[in-house]
Amino acid sequence: MQKSILIGLGNPILTDDGVGVKVAYEIERKFGENIPKNLTITEASVGGLRLMELLEGYDRAIIIDAIQTRNGHPIGSIFRLNLSDLREFSPTQHSASAHDTSLVTALDAGIEMGMKLPLDITIFAVEVENIMDFSEQPTPAVAAAIPLVIEMVLDII
Amino acid sequence: MKRITIDPITRLEGHGKIEIFLNDQGNVENAYLQIPELRGFEQFSIGRPAEEMPRITNRICGVCPEAHHMAGTKALDMLFNVEPAPVVKKIREMFYMAFYNTDHAVHFYALGGPDFVLGPDAPPEERNILGVIHKVGVDIGKQVIAHRKRNHEVIQWLGGRGIHPVAGLPGGWSVAVTEELRKEIEEIAKQNIAFGEFSLQLFADVVLANQAYVDLILSDTFTEDTYYMGTVDENNHPNFYDGKIRVVAPDGSEFVKYDAKDYAQHIAERVEPWSYLKFPYLKGVGWKGFVDGMDSGVYQATPLSRLNAGDGMATPKAQEHFEKFYETLGSEKVNGRYKPVHHRLATHWARLIEMLYAAERMLELVTDPEITNPEVRPIVTNTPTVGIGSVEAPRGTLTHHYETDENGILTKVNLVVGTTNNNAPIAMSIKKAAKGLIKDGNISEGLLNTVEMAFRNYDPCMSCATHSLPGQMPLEITIHDSKGQVVDTLNQFID
Repeated sequence: MQKSILIGLGNPILTDDGVGVKVAYEIERKFGENIPKNLTITEASVGGLRLMELLEGYDRAIIIDAIQTRNGHPIGSIFRLNLSDLREFSPTQHSASAHDTSLVTALDAGIEMGMKLPLDITIFAVEVENIMDFSEQPTPAVAAAIPLVIEMVLDII
Repeated sequence: MKRITIDPITRLEGHGKIEIFLNDQGNVENAYLQIPELRGFEQFSIGRPAEEMPRITNRICGVCPEAHHMAGTKALDMLFNVEPAPVVKKIREMFYMAFYNTDHAVHFYALGGPDFVLGPDAPPEERNILGVIHKVGVDIGKQVIAHRKRNHEVIQWLGGRGIHPVAGLPGGWSVAVTEELRKEIEEIAKQNIAFGEFSLQLFADVVLANQAYVDLILSDTFTEDTYYMGTVDENNHPNFYDGKIRVVAPDGSEFVKYDAKDYAQHIAERVEPWSYLKFPYLKGVGWKGFVDGMDSGVYQATPLSRLNAGDGMATPKAQEHFEKFYETLGSEKVNGRYKPVHHRLATHWARLIEMLYAAERMLELVTDPEITNPEVRPIVTNTPTVGIGSVEAPRGTLTHHYETDENGILTKVNLVVGTTNNNAPIAMSIKKAAKGLIKDGNISEGLLNTVEMAFRNYDPCMSCATHSLPGQMPLEITIHDSKGQVVDTLNQFID
């Protein structure tokens, strides 16, 4: 049976940054006792390598996260991406001292090292406004996107 | 040279900015770094129960939640005036050594190490963990992943949860170590030691055996004589969990040693009109600007710094490597201790020595007869007032300071994170790197690369890089001529 993992990504105390975490908790709540046996629901505030390591052993991953495309998309816009879309965001591989590699690089590295990693990765990303101020509440437009993302995720589980 | 005022209130749009100012001859006069900072943490915390802080602050950073959790837990010890039992300290430190093993490994193999393993002139697409695997082989990559995995398991067992630990209590720890768990951790500690030695051998084979790299390490571009800070035990050996904070001068003499709770007496923060970053410096020396030397209060807090602040390592294999480190880099002994190494690129080597020490220390702790004592939760009865806790985060000395009312509700919070200690040294290193590559108005190829390398030594915590997609750090370098006109802009990851 296909093993799937659903990860709500982000920092739940940084305003909009935690939108993914909120979605994951809501989905978990909706399932209640009836979470499918082959589905793991979790949350994490990590990126790159650590995130890649979380995906090991699964056939499919659904990741929900905040994004800032700054391409004029209204706050609260929802994007559905896969890995090749993510590659387009990181055309060069300069790694300017972030503590981490990008998820794309981490996945490539993991696969080269023979790790079992999901080929089927779907990312739901919400265009957010504020990831710089500490708060447990998202901004209104982002909060409004949460039920929509939940529906989109439940559709594909 | 025309004075340019940079408005620090300008929103940085989530990316880092380096501004380089040239003088009339077209040579670097000054360089400044600005990084967007997360805002409002104090306001966010005030009104909350202090006991929640270790669980809240472990969210500040997705890379070092363990460090914040530990500093917060130690602040609670003081806040509630509870001295942790020896077994509690040992479990906490053992947990913390597992964390150091994962963190230092990833920095060497995926972040800083690629600069050496691939070489600074390698194309950027290759200077990452993928490039390292291509160069040294898939097997080594597998070892790195396995090393992280086994230590993440220790962190999960002992921390009460995956990734974001929750076990810290005032004066206690919520997880005790059973004999079964102890045996597993002992096995892991031994594997960690083997991996630490292996990594140091790799460094010797790939970096030290290559004269070009050695020259790079010793080059003036990456050398600065500052003061060095690190936490040391009663023998003046680095200890990441606890001890006194020691600062050593550029000439190797001990400048000051103090208890964490007295940090405000020794460190002041410099505010500059062009940045909202704060620049800590040593009060006892004073602020003389972004310069190095005995008369400047600028200090550093990194693995290199910790080794420089210590008289040796507390464990035998790490000590052997410590001696080799100082001998190889030409440091002489004065008054029984090695003079500091000022070559910033040596930080990568120092980091591996720390990783080996953390592995050996883990074995010491897990084989301590007391480690399976189940009495890890004290009853807390004292009225809280002020708590200050400090640990060595991989990126530097980390301090949490909480003040509460008599019910333990926070009234004031101050955090000095590891990287903050290095704000001034980072600016200085960037300036020096830029100076080497901009001459008479000509900007050399590889400016971006060299600035990155200077930067990466410090493994700075640039919060904007770890949150939200796409997950890299956008960085913009703007070069101004002496009239303030923009001469060139280099950037990455900015549309």
